Amino acid sequence: MSPLALFVSVGLLLTAGAEAAPLEGPFKPLPAVPMLNSKRVELGRQLFNDPRLSVNNSLSCASCHHLNLGGSDNKPLSSGFDGKPLQINTPSVFNASLNFRQFWDGRVATLEEQIHSVVQSPTEMGSDWSTVVQRIASDPAYRTAFADAYPDAVTEANIQNALADYERTLLSTNSRFDQYLAGNTEILTLEEKYGYQRFQEYGCIACHQGVNIGGNMFQKFGVFGDYFKTRGNPTEADQGRFNVTGEEEDRNVFKVPSLRNVAVTAPYFHDGSEQTLEGAVAVMFKYQLGRTPSKKDNELLVKFLKTLTGEWEGKPL
Amino acid sequence: MNVSRRTSLVMLAGVALVLASTLLFLYLSSRSEQTATYAESRNLIRQIMQQNAQWESEILKARVAISHNYDPLVSPLIEMTKLWRTFDSLESQNRLNQSSIWRDTLDAYLIAMKEKTRAVELFKSRNAVLRNSLAFLPTAEDDIQANLARMADADKLQVQNIVTDIYDLLLSSMEFTQVTSTDRAADILVGLNKLQVDKERLPPELHEPIDILSNHIALILREQPKVNSLLDEIDVIPIAERLDDITNMLNRDQQQAEAIDRKYHLFLLLFSALLVLILIWLAIHLIRSFAEINRMNQALVAANDELERRVEERTRQLKDTQGKLLDTARRAGMAEIATNVLHNVGNVLNSVNISADLVSRKLRNSKAQGLGKAMQLINQRQQDLGSFLTEDEKGKLLPGYLNQLVEAIDHEQQGMAEELTQLSKSVDHIKDIVATQQSYAGVNSLLEPLSISELLEDALRMNLGALTRHNVTVLKEYADVPLIMGDKHRLLLILINLISNAKYALSNVSNHERILTLGATIVDGQTLQISVRDEGEGISPQDMTRIFAHGFTTRKEGHGFGLHSCALAAIEMNGHLNAYSDGPGKGALFVLQIPLIAAEGEPCPSP
Repeated sequence: MSPLALFVSVGLLLTAGAEAAPLEGPFKPLPAVPMLNSKRVELGRQLFNDPRLSVNNSLSCASCHHLNLGGSDNKPLSSGFDGKPLQINTPSVFNASLNFRQFWDGRVATLEEQIHSVVQSPTEMGSDWSTVVQRIASDPAYRTAFADAYPDAVTEANIQNALADYERTLLSTNSRFDQYLAGNTEILTLEEKYGYQRFQEYGCIACHQGVNIGGNMFQKFGVFGDYFKTRGNPTEADQGRFNVTGEEEDRNVFKVPSLRNVAVTAPYFHDGSEQTLEGAVAVMFKYQLGRTPSKKDNELLVKFLKTLTGEWEGKPL
Repeated sequence: MNVSRRTSLVMLAGVALVLASTLLFLYLSSRSEQTATYAESRNLIRQIMQQNAQWESEILKARVAISHNYDPLVSPLIEMTKLWRTFDSLESQNRLNQSSIWRDTLDAYLIAMKEKTRAVELFKSRNAVLRNSLAFLPTAEDDIQANLARMADADKLQVQNIVTDIYDLLLSSMEFTQVTSTDRAADILVGLNKLQVDKERLPPELHEPIDILSNHIALILREQPKVNSLLDEIDVIPIAERLDDITNMLNRDQQQAEAIDRKYHLFLLLFSALLVLILIWLAIHLIRSFAEINRMNQALVAANDELERRVEERTRQLKDTQGKLLDTARRAGMAEIATNVLHNVGNVLNSVNISADLVSRKLRNSKAQGLGKAMQLINQRQQDLGSFLTEDEKGKLLPGYLNQLVEAIDHEQQGMAEELTQLSKSVDHIKDIVATQQSYAGVNSLLEPLSISELLEDALRMNLGALTRHNVTVLKEYADVPLIMGDKHRLLLILINLISNAKYALSNVSNHERILTLGATIVDGQTLQISVRDEGEGISPQDMTRIFAHGFTTRKEGHGFGLHSCALAAIEMNGHLNAYSDGPGKGALFVLQIPLIAAEGEPCPSP
């Protein structure tokens, strides 16, 4: 190879590397962590881990949303402040800010409202805001920090805002799939790429797409067939969005969950009924897609789903 | 006047204050921020409309399955919610949405928005599964075809029919998605039923793919009308209209606000004009005041000038008067001097008169007449003159007589010559007096060596006639006084006056001898003292104070100049003249003291 040819080929390689353009498609890579007021974010972090938010000082946000357990816990149903199990599986706090609405039934639109709801929920934290504000305000360290971060110091809105701001920073960055979307096509194995292809072909992307690979629409659980009849023991939570709107067509309708970090957030579904990813994929095929995949395709899909696991503080979740 | 002016000023200030505060109020009320708020609100509504349009365009994209990403169907809603929150806070800040019509308009939008959000959510869910099933149909069909192809032992015609049925069903489903009608729905239902019948004729392994296909077509049949009706619903949800309503409300409000603003501006203009008028009025007032002050100033200056002029005039007049007074004084002085001169001349003229009288008397009684008689006798005897002289009795006496006559004439001549010398002296004195008075203004005094005793003798001589007439005995008490340097005429003037006065004082004395004592002595070796004492009528104490005053006299024919001029002359010689008397009838003493200046070559008198 002549030196000139070598030079040209190296140049081409470099150019190709530099122009690794994001791939167009129904998926969007995770956005960068937003630049927020660091004082507020830090306050939010402290509050997130503070059990004083619950009425009997037993639960903090982090009690159910373990950051080292994919932003949720590994139980089908978490326990409330009184130790009793809740009605619905705990969703991950990671990338929650990218969901179009909060909770399985999407009853609130913002993180602030979600926090507001959880603190006051008689089953979750069981507290009320005047108590929370009083407890936080009686802590001199909080008082100073709040006075520093907010013009009106400790208020209900400021506590919610601090927590929400903190949660907005909880993005599971740098997943292999994101790197792939960013143009690094070598990061996925051939099987994973096949899995990705199956994911699209089988129509999973009909619901799981966008920046959060889900989390941007409602969908009926059981498009094909009645999942709940098969499962048995219907609960109030199984009614999903019906509990919010009272509309018959919203019965068993849930927010489509994000598939980011899905490999580390078992058990699955709103009832936490499925322990394995393979099983969850199978349930989805049966009740949502109305199709029967081959065993191989199921495996490929699971392999693909595992590429969606991102990092937190530089470590894979 | 003053009070009313103050009141009017206070009232004016009050009016100005009221106007100023009204202006401030109007200014604050008609802030341009309002317009900015309206513009901002309208802008927010416009942005919401844009997001709404984008939302709808994304809905259409999702409907025709261009995009599988539903994020663009979420973000406009989030944006609209955010924009609305901004708009709402802006509106509630400006409290423009307090009226019920506003509240209704805003609520109408919110209701429409809620409806649309719900419709879009439903659309998303249903469209997703619909598109998925539609997309899956060819695959599902392929699956069945593949299974059918694998059936080697099948009835070819039957399979062909089944395949045709599936194709027809597929076609009907595809057409149904394009033209959703009940006819086609019925066709699909017929097709589905056929497929169920066909399924029964096929082996069990083919049942599942056919069920799957049937399920998906059933889903399409179920969902497509719902999606269509949702789209229709979305289409008629009047978000844009509600936003237009809000814009119209904003416009209406703004027009109203602007109308009010215009009114405020009008008032602003009006009150400003009033304020300006007041200011102008004040300015005019001020200018007038200044003019008044100026005028007063000028008047003051004029008055001042006039005053100065008058002062000058008065000064000039005073000067004139002074000049006149000086003139008068001078004339009076000259008159005094003239009187003095005449007085002194008169005194001397007495002597002249006496001398002339004496000479004329001597001439009248002259023995020279005897010479004439003798000559008559001689002339009668001219022929026999010798004989006559020798023979005649009378003739013989004639030479003796002539001798006696010669002697007598000689004696007479000598007396007359003496008297004429005296006369000549007096005339000289008069001449001197006149000359002295002529040189009065010039040289103060002419000092010459004098002998005091001679001077006193001269003075006595000049008064000799009167003294003799009044039988005054003169006692002379002259000390040994050397020649002095002195003003002869002033001294003489004083002495003549004093002697004359003493003579007058003695003129009425009859009970004792009339004695006038003249003295000259040296006091302390520095002062020459000349005294004239008489034993005459004396001076009363009340007269003593004014004895030297001009015009003071005790005599009927007196002028009151004598002693006055004497005192002046004494002062002019750096000396003084004093009068002493023990009272009326006890005589008087006049003492003249002048500095003793010894004449050159004279020994200084020892004290």
